[in-house]
Amino acid sequence: MPNLKVSDVTLTFGGLHALSGVNMDVKAGLITSIIGPNGAGKTSLLNCISGFYHPTSGEIHYNGQRLTKSSPHQVSKIGIARAFQNLELFRGLSVLDNLMLARHQNLSYGLLHALAFFGKASRVEAENREHVEKIIDFMELEAYRKQTVGNLSYGVQKSVEVARALTLAPQMILLDEPMAGMNIEEKEDMVRFIFDIKNEWEITVILVEHDLGVVMDISDQIYVLDFGEVIGSGDAEQVASNPKVIEAYIGEE
Amino acid sequence: MSANRWFATGNYFTTYREEQRIFSTHLDRLVFCLFLTAFFVWPFFIDLSTKYMLVLDNILIAVIAVYGLNLVLGFGGLISVGHAAFVGVGAYTVASLAGVIGEQHMLITHGWPLMIIGAGLMGAIFGLIVGLPALRLRHLYLLMATLSFQMIFEWTIGFLNFFNQGQFIYVGRVHWLTGEVGRNEHYLFWYYVLLVTVVICGFGVRNLLRTRYGRSLVAVRDNDRAADAMGMHPGLAKVFAFGLAGFFAGIAGAMQAYLDRGAGFETFTLHESIQYLAMTIVGGMGQLTGCFFGPAAIEILDLQMEHLAEWAGHILPSALDLATGLRPLSFGLVIVLFLMFEPRGIANWWRILRTYLKLWPFRY
Ligand SMILES: Nc1ncnc2c1ncn2[C@@H]1O[C@H](COP(=O)(O)OP(=O)(O)OP(=O)(O)O)[C@@H](O)[C@H]1O
Ligand SMILES: [Mg+2]
Repeated sequence: MPNLKVSDVTLTFGGLHALSGVNMDVKAGLITSIIGPNGAGKTSLLNCISGFYHPTSGEIHYNGQRLTKSSPHQVSKIGIARAFQNLELFRGLSVLDNLMLARHQNLSYGLLHALAFFGKASRVEAENREHVEKIIDFMELEAYRKQTVGNLSYGVQKSVEVARALTLAPQMILLDEPMAGMNIEEKEDMVRFIFDIKNEWEITVILVEHDLGVVMDISDQIYVLDFGEVIGSGDAEQVASNPKVIEAYIGEE
Repeated sequence: MSANRWFATGNYFTTYREEQRIFSTHLDRLVFCLFLTAFFVWPFFIDLSTKYMLVLDNILIAVIAVYGLNLVLGFGGLISVGHAAFVGVGAYTVASLAGVIGEQHMLITHGWPLMIIGAGLMGAIFGLIVGLPALRLRHLYLLMATLSFQMIFEWTIGFLNFFNQGQFIYVGRVHWLTGEVGRNEHYLFWYYVLLVTVVICGFGVRNLLRTRYGRSLVAVRDNDRAADAMGMHPGLAKVFAFGLAGFFAGIAGAMQAYLDRGAGFETFTLHESIQYLAMTIVGGMGQLTGCFFGPAAIEILDLQMEHLAEWAGHILPSALDLATGLRPLSFGLVIVLFLMFEPRGIANWWRILRTYLKLWPFRY
């Protein structure tokens, strides 16, 4: 059973415990959400999985493979893609180029082929473009294809961020607040996309999201973080009736 | 695809293969071919003096070197102030071998294409080594690393007997199908060799930029965190950029050695490195066309400064020293002016002009 296993992960910055003893089991083919108040450590957890941070202690395994000390490009090659909370797009490039860049690891041709742009390189690049176009189609970004990313509205940039992660053709996708800053309509679209990513593309989703309504609706499994600790987990009902979770959320308001 | 591949004002591709074309319309390609033909045939009609022929050859050599620097600086966003040293590596690959096996050895005189490629590889090796710090270091540190390479290069050439302590090492005249290339045809012969090299390397760079190799450079320049998440190794991409830069520099250097009939250390100093930087910035960082405009503009500027210095020297002999200082000063000035007012360089003017011509007169 392919899955992601986070075992007893602790991450400290100086004296600050961003994560302490986090355990998480992400099952393949499902949508697993991570919720929690601001500063709870959600992004830090994603950073540990995707290799931007390395846990101070604890282990992370994916399908039995150890990710604890891997760097981001290694994690990405294993098949785990990431969309960032704070946009990390190639701002000066077009939407198309941003997505083409994400195909890097799926392209294989040598330097000499590339220099001559002949044979394999040219064929692979054309197929590549086709793949990218499929994603643009799916995420409904046709209208922005050739526009410079930096000039697009925040909501659209968020979509591009998700589209780019999808272009990596991953088995698992980490989405860090993909709906933050979107208007209602964009939000509804995004929820639909996430559903399709799970059902049609058969990609395992880890979703960090503040909108509890959305989370309760679409998640198969939810983890609640507070001050770097998992205070509750389970399906929507279990989490909603967990007194610790209620306290944390009421305490926040 | 539109029926008219001559005057298309937009794009009408129907397959992605069509979009891969370098020239989207027949007209573009025709203009390019005419342009290129003009470069090949003008010497049959115009007799340029040796002095200007040399300037032209030097521009073409600089174009090849700037291909390399632009890949590092423009596309990779990495500063390198030691580019002339890499060019020097290429030149000294040829010159020191000529010193060892004799300047008239067959390998030097007949095997010159091999020597040029070999010098390119040597440049690439040095590029990779000097680029290694890019695995970890950035900006200011990288500047120091490349500057150190420039210094070490100058010191090595200047002190070792093997390199004749920086004094001129001769390289023999090359042979071509018609026999030895004599004194009179020397500059014209190299003009053609250089032109062909510029075209081949130009297509090479153009192709590289539209494949994963070129894209990873740009990705690392724009956002290396994201590049990392996209499965690229940011450090390796940077080292690779330095390797490529070294390769083009090495080729340029070997050709410089053949053109000058030898190598001396003063052709590859920090001053030349700054000059390459000026060419890249003025031409347009991250623009392939910039690789042509930059060297032409700077060489012409240099020529004008030389005239100015001569003229000043005539009028005021005591101002001669001041006038020689004018050249480095002028490079510094154009770098600053372009960075301030036209960071996209002359290539941007070209782009604007082209867009204008393409829509003229409203072809719809
Ligand atoms: N690089 C860092 N250096 C120091 N402290 C950090 C660093 N990254 C995160 N932190 C701290 O770790 C804690 C958790 O941050 P994190 O970004 O993971 O929270 P979050 O749950 O994603 O919050 P939000 O909902 O606001 O995105 C915060 O207190 C934050 O200040
Ligand atoms: Mg966060």
